[in-house]
Amino acid sequence: MEKYGIGQPVRRKEDVRFLTGTGTYIDDIKPDNLIHAVVLRSPHAHAKILDLDTSEAETMPGVLCIVTGKDWVAEDFQPMPTKSAVNKKIDGTPLNQPPRHAIAIDRVRYVGEPVALIVAETLVQAQDAAEVVEVDYEELEAVTDQIKALEPGAPQIWDDIEGNFCIDFELGDKEGTGKAFETADHVVKLKLRNQCVTAAPIETRGAIASYDKDTGKYFLQNATQNVHANRDTFASVLKIPSEDLHHMAPDVGGGFGAKNSGYPEPSLLLYAAKKTDRPIKWIGDRNESFAADTHGRDQATTVEMALDKDGMFLGLRTRTVGNIGAYCWTVGPFTPTGGSARTQGGPYYIPAMHYTGIAAFTNTMPLDPYRGAGRPEGSFQIERIVELAARELGMDPVELRRKNLMPADSLPRKTPMGLDVDTGNFPEVFERTLKMSDRAGFAKRFEESARKGLRRGFAIAPYLECTGGGPKEFAGVKFGKDGSATLRVGSMSTGMGQETSMPQILSDTLGIDFEKITYVQGDTDATPIGGGHGGSRNMEVGGSAVLQCAREVLVKAKQLAAHLLNSNADDMELKESVFTDVKTDQNVSMADVVAASFDQSRLPDGMEAGALDTDTIFEREIISCPNGCHSAEVEVDPETGTVQVEHMWIVDDFGTIINPMLADGQVMGGVAQGLGQALMEEIVYDEDSGQLVTGSLMDYALPRADSMPKMEMAFYEDAPTAKNPLGVKGSGEAGCCGAPPAIVNAVLDALKEDGVTHIEMPLTPEKVWRAIQDAKQQGA
Amino acid sequence: MPVISLTVNGNPVTADVEPRWLLSRLLRDHLGLTGTHVGCDTSQCGACVIHVDGKPVKSCAMLAAQADGAQITTIEGLAQKGKLHPMQEAFRDNHALQCGFCTPGMVMMSVALATEQPDLDEPAVRKGLEGNLCRCTGYQNIINAVMVGAKAMRG
Repeated sequence: MEKYGIGQPVRRKEDVRFLTGTGTYIDDIKPDNLIHAVVLRSPHAHAKILDLDTSEAETMPGVLCIVTGKDWVAEDFQPMPTKSAVNKKIDGTPLNQPPRHAIAIDRVRYVGEPVALIVAETLVQAQDAAEVVEVDYEELEAVTDQIKALEPGAPQIWDDIEGNFCIDFELGDKEGTGKAFETADHVVKLKLRNQCVTAAPIETRGAIASYDKDTGKYFLQNATQNVHANRDTFASVLKIPSEDLHHMAPDVGGGFGAKNSGYPEPSLLLYAAKKTDRPIKWIGDRNESFAADTHGRDQATTVEMALDKDGMFLGLRTRTVGNIGAYCWTVGPFTPTGGSARTQGGPYYIPAMHYTGIAAFTNTMPLDPYRGAGRPEGSFQIERIVELAARELGMDPVELRRKNLMPADSLPRKTPMGLDVDTGNFPEVFERTLKMSDRAGFAKRFEESARKGLRRGFAIAPYLECTGGGPKEFAGVKFGKDGSATLRVGSMSTGMGQETSMPQILSDTLGIDFEKITYVQGDTDATPIGGGHGGSRNMEVGGSAVLQCAREVLVKAKQLAAHLLNSNADDMELKESVFTDVKTDQNVSMADVVAASFDQSRLPDGMEAGALDTDTIFEREIISCPNGCHSAEVEVDPETGTVQVEHMWIVDDFGTIINPMLADGQVMGGVAQGLGQALMEEIVYDEDSGQLVTGSLMDYALPRADSMPKMEMAFYEDAPTAKNPLGVKGSGEAGCCGAPPAIVNAVLDALKEDGVTHIEMPLTPEKVWRAIQDAKQQGA
Repeated sequence: MPVISLTVNGNPVTADVEPRWLLSRLLRDHLGLTGTHVGCDTSQCGACVIHVDGKPVKSCAMLAAQADGAQITTIEGLAQKGKLHPMQEAFRDNHALQCGFCTPGMVMMSVALATEQPDLDEPAVRKGLEGNLCRCTGYQNIINAVMVGAKAMRG
């Protein structure tokens, strides 16, 4: 079993179908009688709907049904819920939460907001009919920037929400932090932005809805990361019991948070499916993905650090204003408040900290979690202020970081932000990263770059983050007489490989044949609960549920093995798929135990056929703290402003590694998205009109093969967490925490002789070039 | 509607196609070859790359009617007799895919690169895959896989 055990780089089960074109993504599903839908979306950032006339569209060939806000009002369908863990303002009153309907009723508040669903026999017919739906809009003034939205006199997005203010939040010791700043030898202050970005999975969103009028049940297949919570959302919108909606996710082509949410379209499709009594498919196009997939980050922040004369950190004060778009989406208000607060200060020992977060409404697509959801923002904030502090104090940035890291013997420790950091060794991880980074060879490479007229820079960025998402998870296993097993889990993969890593845990614990394990996920009928994916919880919570389930099976299997061998369960030892009585050396194979579990004549009293089948629910008590360190070496062309990230070195402490090949994949994928944020990605709305400027892959740059550096990775595995039975800490979002500050600080290091101290992300060639020119002028 | 005849994965196909149909649509919706994916509408993502007369082509950027008489290979036609093509094998061995959505286009492009450039090196792979987006892997494992796959194809 070792070949498939925990810690082995097992090749993925799912790859064979993905590599041969036989995966089943949402658009590959074609039920009989299928009809097609398109969503007519608002072309305005802010407007009143004076009239919506569908009469001509309804007469177009093939048109079967058009859904508008009028239907929503007539049916009294409910708004979609928001479940932000932070939901009270500082003064104790509830957050301002406007109703979020699946379709615009009488006003639109962002470009891309659904206005009508047009259903026709063919996609082309639906598209043609959408062209002739007449909507009479009265345009209103729009605001797309959260700072401007909070200013007096800003356009009001919600009549009953004054000043576009959603919620404020604070955490930490305000007074103590204030004192630290008063007594400090140095105070460093920086205003910075984590710009608005989007996940842009290569598969766009899409869904197929149907209704069975005989049973009164709905069926929804959906490219989603979370079937259970979203089932409940859609059911509550349509006022039906959750059990009347069967929600399944097929193979999902990437999510990164953007497929977490309960979106508007599925409710519209379900309603139309009942009306037309036909299965309906909607597949979003790439433009809809940019306009109507949730966005991420978008925080404007002031960060201040207090230091003593030796460069020891005394205090950290952060004030963030986050854009959440036109509505509170699923958990949108949480990201700039609690989500960004928890890991403030990173892995540094900072005695006093205070965080203030404000969430503001604007006329943009709403924001919801995107890979990291607050932790990348926090990591970028602390690493930028530390870099600037080193520069202002004339200290070596490596040395300044080294002396302020939380010492290994300071753990376990609760940070001033209340984060429970139980295990880890930040200094060791830092030194290992530095050692990998070939600092000795830097001077030579610097000279080589200089000879070509290029600048070269280096930076190191340790990070501390945490997991999130639902704390409970289900795992269940059912055995077959032939020794096969079906494993059902409520967490889910959208590409991360749980179809392989979850069976690894089962196989490792029970000695059953890895090849005979079938994995089932993303199906509300298969598991009673499920937290889907989000917050790097798959292995932490889902994997722990699988381990707990396997251990419960093992207890029963030992009893059965003991019965078969006429000995005691306590004397049974499982090794290489065989139970051996440690006293008598008698043995029976796991396969035989499984076979016996179906034969009543071989079962002890009290055990029924199928006795090994086990369902369990694991509950996480405290979130885990993945941590690590990234370093980056970059080359910058001062003539063009072009940045090439040459090399990155990364050491991660994810606790126990289940499959190092998959964990490496998570790191590199996260680095790519982090590099994208650092250098090229940005969702841009036109300031005056509120139009989305970056509505296609021609306008929104994603990293390509030649954008990426060589990445060298290692894991620090000596500090597994005791917060879950697997000892894992979560790996999915770490890359997005470490890469942006490492890359941006390396670019600023390269440009230090030019006098450049700060450039806002993304560091496009134009911005880099302008920063160099501006610094030149200021120096002159 | 124009009637076209072509060969897809070795099989002769005759189809009535509307003039506005894209080749990707003919493959996916009418021939049931859903391995060819569509990830964008501006020919940027490359998930729909197939081989037309041995050359890599973005099938969302070619009309079905233009494929009259063409020899077409899609991802479904790459493995022979149940055995993965060396490039598919290399992708699996090197964990060069995660969600799998970009994978068919990525593999088809990689096979074409290895076929066209017998002395393919790493910078050439990075350059050659410029038209194929992946949002999951960070590309490093894809590059490794293409190098291994290209070597295996040379035999």
